[in-house]
Amino acid sequence: MPAAEVLTARTRPRPRTAAGHGTKARVQGLLLAVPAVLLVAFVVVGGSAMVAAQSLGLMPLVGRPELSTAAYTAHGGDLLVGVGLSLAIAGASTVLACLIGFAAALIMMQGRWCGKLVAAMSSLSIPVPHIVGAATAGLLLADSGLLARVFGAAERWPDVVGGQWWLAVIFEYAWKESAFVGLVVAGTLATRSVDYEETAALLGAGRLGRLRHVLLPLSLPALIISGTIAFIYSFGSYEVAWLLGRPYPEPLPVMALRLYNSVTLTARPEAAAVAVVTAVVSLGAALVALACLRKIPLWR
Amino acid sequence: MAITLPPGLNQQTLPKDAAQSGLTRSRAGGRILRSATAGALAVWFVLPLVPLGLWVFADRWSYPAPLPQDWGLQNVDSALSRGAATAFAGSLGLGLVVSAVATPLGVLAARSLAFHPSRWSAPVSALLFAPLALPAFVAVFGLNVLLVRLQVPSYAGVVLVLTVYALPYTTYVMRLAYAAHDIGFDEEACTLGATQGQVFLRVQFPLIAPALARAAFLAFLVGWSDYLVTLLIGGGSLVTVPLLVASAASGAGNDGIVAVLSVMALVPPLGLLLGLTGRRRRGGWS
Repeated sequence: MPAAEVLTARTRPRPRTAAGHGTKARVQGLLLAVPAVLLVAFVVVGGSAMVAAQSLGLMPLVGRPELSTAAYTAHGGDLLVGVGLSLAIAGASTVLACLIGFAAALIMMQGRWCGKLVAAMSSLSIPVPHIVGAATAGLLLADSGLLARVFGAAERWPDVVGGQWWLAVIFEYAWKESAFVGLVVAGTLATRSVDYEETAALLGAGRLGRLRHVLLPLSLPALIISGTIAFIYSFGSYEVAWLLGRPYPEPLPVMALRLYNSVTLTARPEAAAVAVVTAVVSLGAALVALACLRKIPLWR
Repeated sequence: MAITLPPGLNQQTLPKDAAQSGLTRSRAGGRILRSATAGALAVWFVLPLVPLGLWVFADRWSYPAPLPQDWGLQNVDSALSRGAATAFAGSLGLGLVVSAVATPLGVLAARSLAFHPSRWSAPVSALLFAPLALPAFVAVFGLNVLLVRLQVPSYAGVVLVLTVYALPYTTYVMRLAYAAHDIGFDEEACTLGATQGQVFLRVQFPLIAPALARAAFLAFLVGWSDYLVTLLIGGGSLVTVPLLVASAASGAGNDGIVAVLSVMALVPPLGLLLGLTGRRRRGGWS
């Protein structure tokens, strides 16, 4: 290829109009994304479609396919309780994660030793798999756990693990996701907040004023995005609630997995129905978050 | 989703020491408050890991003793006799394979999104981020039927699903890297007579190498941390450390073994993380 052609073909990073881009180059550009798109489409679209078909009785393990909503009504009451319980657990842990994560991001922003300490400690908890987080939260919070031993609480130790309020489950999610939220928010703040903060300070804004009018608006998009990801994760995640929760009532993923592994023939469609409900609520949460983001001037 | 990961995990996110100028410096009271908050947050992030450090070396630690009564390495032996070494190899392999597949695919997708914008770019990136909004078990319930009918080996099935759940991270990290990529360097090299291959090897690759390492690390973590996909699609044929942790933690009286297995699950990613950060500090990467 002559050098001039190389220059024009390879070095135009973002043509402003599609017309500035040859059809061949455009197709080549699109082709680059094809392998990733095919895999994701197979898993996400294919998986969702198959699970919806199973839940509607179109793919029974035995017998004739027949369209029905029986799987959705089979555990009607429990399904609704599961939705409420999962929403409550995910909501509580997300609120905690956002508050703690935002505070951590503010400290990280200050630099110096305390910022570095908090940044290092929060990165430490990021690569912890959730099942390990759940196991170690159990070792910390159970009635024979480290805290009960250290405080000498014996019988007076509350039912944190497996208790009525799902405290250990909420704690594990809040712990892991607060580090996630903190690092994401600190990442966005670091690139843009210093100048604005100084300008605000020069104009006479106090600490609270800067927090309210500069730092919070600047972090809001990152806070919404990371909060939503954390919410959807804790809403649809199985292992933590399974390990640290109680047998009944069940959050949606625990209920879905129990039905999925059940030997009853009708259980598969019922498990699929629970999965569909989980997916619909998750998608709803994502759409609500996107709608909120659109209202924020900074996002555009 | 297998795990939630911040894309800038080992990126320089903190302002430099000088970032706090005289204008925004806090007064003495504020400094004390800040140090106290920082201390509390550090405890919050580290406290859950403390029992692991104690239980690993606790040969005997009966309730209600606040500290182990006998120290030793019996728990390590018990964990090894439960197949910890095989599971470790399984986890390592899975993390590496997912990383090896999801990183190049993410690079290609990010190149397409960054350098070839078209009307398809928006739907493509929406689709690539869709796994973040779909709980993994939902996709697995649906796919299991398909994978069995298509006779896909279970290992390939696990890798496929985990790759898809790693793609949002690899694509996003590389997309950011390409957005900051100064095309002027490529042009300069071209005018100086570099071939395409030379431009890639000598110019583009060094520029994107740190982002590439980050993307590969995040994809590795997705494979390394996964529990549910490995359990449901692997169907027991593939044993990884998270699976052993779960089976030990769900039984009673295994606290020491749980701790050893958990530490095993933590060491490789933490080592990689330190390696990546240390390398950046030494100035190996920009």
